[in-house]
Amino acid sequence: MSQTLTIAKRELTSLFCSPIAYVVLGLFAFGTGMIFFLGFAPGLAAGMRSTFDSVVWLMIFLVPAISMRLISDELRNGTVEPLMTAPITDVQVVMGKWLGAMGFYAALLAPLCVLVLVLEVNASPDYGPILTGLTGLVLVGGLYLAIGTFASAATQNQIIAFLLTVFVICVFTIAMYFLPRASFVSPPWQQAMYYLNVNMQFEDFNKGLIDTSNFVYFVSGITLFLFLAVKVLESRRWR
Amino acid sequence: MIEVENLVKWYGQTLAVDNLNFTIPRGQIVGFLGPNGAGKTTTLRMLTGYLPPTSGRVTLDGHDVLTDSLRARAKIGYLPESTPLYPEMRVEEYLHYRGKLHRMDRDTRRRRIDTVCDQCGLAQVRRRLIGQLSKGNKQRVGLAQAMLHEPPVLILDEPTAGLDPNQITHVRELIDQLRGEHTIILSTHILPEVERLADRLMVIAGGAIVAQGTPEELRSSVSAGSRILIEVNAQPQDVSKALGQVSGVKQVETATNDGWCRATVTPKDNADPREAIGQTALHHGWTVREMRYETASLEQFFVQVTAQQGRAATEDAA
Repeated sequence: MSQTLTIAKRELTSLFCSPIAYVVLGLFAFGTGMIFFLGFAPGLAAGMRSTFDSVVWLMIFLVPAISMRLISDELRNGTVEPLMTAPITDVQVVMGKWLGAMGFYAALLAPLCVLVLVLEVNASPDYGPILTGLTGLVLVGGLYLAIGTFASAATQNQIIAFLLTVFVICVFTIAMYFLPRASFVSPPWQQAMYYLNVNMQFEDFNKGLIDTSNFVYFVSGITLFLFLAVKVLESRRWR
Repeated sequence: MIEVENLVKWYGQTLAVDNLNFTIPRGQIVGFLGPNGAGKTTTLRMLTGYLPPTSGRVTLDGHDVLTDSLRARAKIGYLPESTPLYPEMRVEEYLHYRGKLHRMDRDTRRRRIDTVCDQCGLAQVRRRLIGQLSKGNKQRVGLAQAMLHEPPVLILDEPTAGLDPNQITHVRELIDQLRGEHTIILSTHILPEVERLADRLMVIAGGAIVAQGTPEELRSSVSAGSRILIEVNAQPQDVSKALGQVSGVKQVETATNDGWCRATVTPKDNADPREAIGQTALHHGWTVREMRYETASLEQFFVQVTAQQGRAATEDAA
């Protein structure tokens, strides 16, 4: 465990050393600020729901930008060699990378708390849905970062890792939005696709609902992609 | 300490390492020599467990590097080829990171980092970013990292590549200091670098060991190819006849060189007929202009064996 945290800490420090980190942080703070103040007027609901609804779409592009260099950079620089010959397991490497990126993601969400503070000063918001919404955002980020960790283990090219992550995320968001609406899809499949849609799962959190099935969805998704990342990393040795 | 049995590695259709077998006892320094592309790095990567062999096995202090990998890896200090490091980290920070990966506690880490920084001459640059260091200093960071957890086995892949002569000497002295405490394998394609350092040399070409032994043993197998050159003012046929009768002489070739007779004498194996040749010249009253003993250097030997292997490989391919 301590070695996993060692890798996570190094990853987090290294993320803050890269220019991409500050671009992502800046874009996110600016974007969320804009979205928030568009819906900030007397008479409107004092909540974060509409802001979070838009924020979750921003994550499709911002999260892959965080995760794209996680493992691909080590593969390209050759630092993967001393890493994988240290007495640590592949699972520790992948978990450490993911946790480090989660740490950065937490910093990314910080501006949202400032917006909540603005709301508090001007109105009396209901904190229940805000907290569940934030929980939902953390889970969505966790899932997207797991997908990104997997993609960055698959290639040494950061751009390919970025595009692959965006593609997989789009399958779980955009494709799972439009496909169930197509006429050729039978109702049982529609149900399954609605369940797989990340935004549908997030919607429950944003409404203020906490349901075990939503947690099961995100936790199993994260586990699946981290497991795939470990397998891809292992398979590099056999090529 | 290190046992390698029937180690084979195929990269697709290319045979990189062809059935290697060797054992390295504790405390020995082994020089792994070969031209670029001979399979040195592949072999070392298999020793560290980074690459799995196609077949065969490697055990390190009794631990199989694949099935008992974590315990085997804990015993290895590894400097990979071209020293990959994180440019955004500071030297000390990186060494702490490596120490933590090896489960060293804070006090041990501090003590060992002080020691290895002194040993590797990094004391001045401990707070610097790795990305801003010179090639030589990066190499030292790589070495320091490999030695940090006091591993019984050190595997150094081209530790002196890209260094200037001073730095090479420094690295050589450093490895010399580690003698006895560690079993060390270092690879290089530069022979003089390891000639004085290694207890044993292994010459690898085309994925196979083509020669091995102590540097002295290799050198004696080379001295079989030595010869004596002498230039005298006499008739070539006389010189040829007189020298041919000297004991220990295998063959004499003569040639005329602006009025002088130049004889090339090949001695029999392990014989040194220089004294007898000198006396023969005196006895016949020849004026000697030059006399020289030519030994093939280890370097020529190295070029010879690896070139033979290279030719064999090309013929195989054809």
